[in-house]
Parts: sequence; C-alpha cells; structure tokens
Amino acid sequence: MTLNWIGVVAAAATFFGVWFGHVGVRKIEYRSPTIWLPTIIALALGLTLELGALLSHNLYVSGALGIVGMTVLWDALEFRRQHKRVAKGHALANPNNPRHARLLADGKATTIDWLNREPIGRSMTAEEAMKLLQAEEAR
Amino acid sequence: MNLFGFGLGVATLFIIGLGFVWVIRGEYFFGYLWWPYVMGLGVALIVLSLFVQLDWGSALLGAFGGSLAWGSTELKDQAVRAELGWHRFNPNKRWPPFADTIKKWRAPHL
Repeated sequence: MTLNWIGVVAAAATFFGVWFGHVGVRKIEYRSPTIWLPTIIALALGLTLELGALLSHNLYVSGALGIVGMTVLWDALEFRRQHKRVAKGHALANPNNPRHARLLADGKATTIDWLNREPIGRSMTAEEAMKLLQAEEAR
Repeated sequence: MNLFGFGLGVATLFIIGLGFVWVIRGEYFFGYLWWPYVMGLGVALIVLSLFVQLDWGSALLGAFGGSLAWGSTELKDQAVRAELGWHRFNPNKRWPPFADTIKKWRAPHL
C-alpha cells in the first residue's frame, strides 16, 4: 500500500496557517500604526496564493497554497477583530503604537497580558486575576 | 485550471471556523484538561490520512487533524478567558481521565 501524503500536507498547512493567523496577526497588529495596510497586504497575498493554487498542477503545492491562501484571507479580517480586542482590553496594547496609545488614553485598553497564566478552575474578579499574574511573575 | 487547492482551502476554512465553536463549547462542558486527548486525536487523524487513498478524503482528514492539534493548544487560553468572565464559566465540568496528572503538566500555548 502506498502512503498518501496529501493529508499530512493539508494538516501542516492548516496548523501553520492558523498558527500564523493567531500569533503573526497579533504581533503585526501590535506594531502596525494602521489597520488598513496589513489588511490590504494580507488580502493581496491571500489572493495571490489562491491564484497559485488554481494554476499549480501539483497536488501538494495546490493543496498547501489553497489552505494557506484562505487562512491569509481570513487574517485580513482578523486585523480589525484584533484591534477591537485591544480596544476592549482583551489583548495587549502597545503604548509605543500611536493607534494603541489612543485606545489606552480612552481607558479600556491595557498593557496587561491577562492570558499569561495557568487556569485555576474558578471564575474570578479582575483584581484576583491581577494578583495571580503578579504571583506568577514573581516565581 | 486546478480547483483542488482552492476547494480544499474553502473546506478548510469551514473546518477552522468549526474549531472556534468546539474550543469554546468543549472548554465550557469538558474543561481544558482534555488537551492531551484532543492533541492525540488530531495526530491520530493525520496518521490515518496517510492510509486514505482518495486524495480529497485524505486531505480533509489531515486538515481536520491539524485543526484539532491547533485547537488543543487553545483550550488553556479559553479556560482563562472563561475564568475572567469574557466567556461563560461552567463550574461543573466533566474532567478527563487522569485529570490530576494532566494538571501537573504545563498546557501548551502558542
């Protein structure tokens, strides 16, 4: 029986596509003074990758480009959503980024990474969560 | 023109979209300590995809496996979000077998 590697290629493209969409979008949004520029670049890159998928006659290349292209197109939307998370204080704001500095001045955005701890199994107030973060940092 | 990659990309977009739903629901009902089981299932599906001879079947199985593997690393963050009140918190979760052992491991976070 011959092994069919297209599943492994699709798995890798999905995992790394989502990884970049998650970590990369977060980092780029953190630094970029505008939302529209990374959005346009992601749109153009995603469409180019999809074009490559349509034109490639290699199964693996077409499959990987198709998946990664779609995740990059999704990322184009994620920049706006990440900006909203920062505005709500659910994601880290960068005081050196003028766009984030404005959000910080509005009062809801934060420079605290609330997710940077292990769960403890009960709901809690922001004050309790803050104490947990400080305890983890001190360790 | 080869529609395989484009079609697979569209299908994978739905699989990833489903990932948002099962991570939130899964953490609510079962808790984040299921992460090694979810990761194991993802890897198992990817290995299984090697033996599926139909390209579409193998590719979709692989994409679903990759999405499960990724989702397993998201469960911990989702648990913290629920504790903070950003999502609904369920105090009566159905914890997995060997939960006490898994609790001692550092949950993956990417």
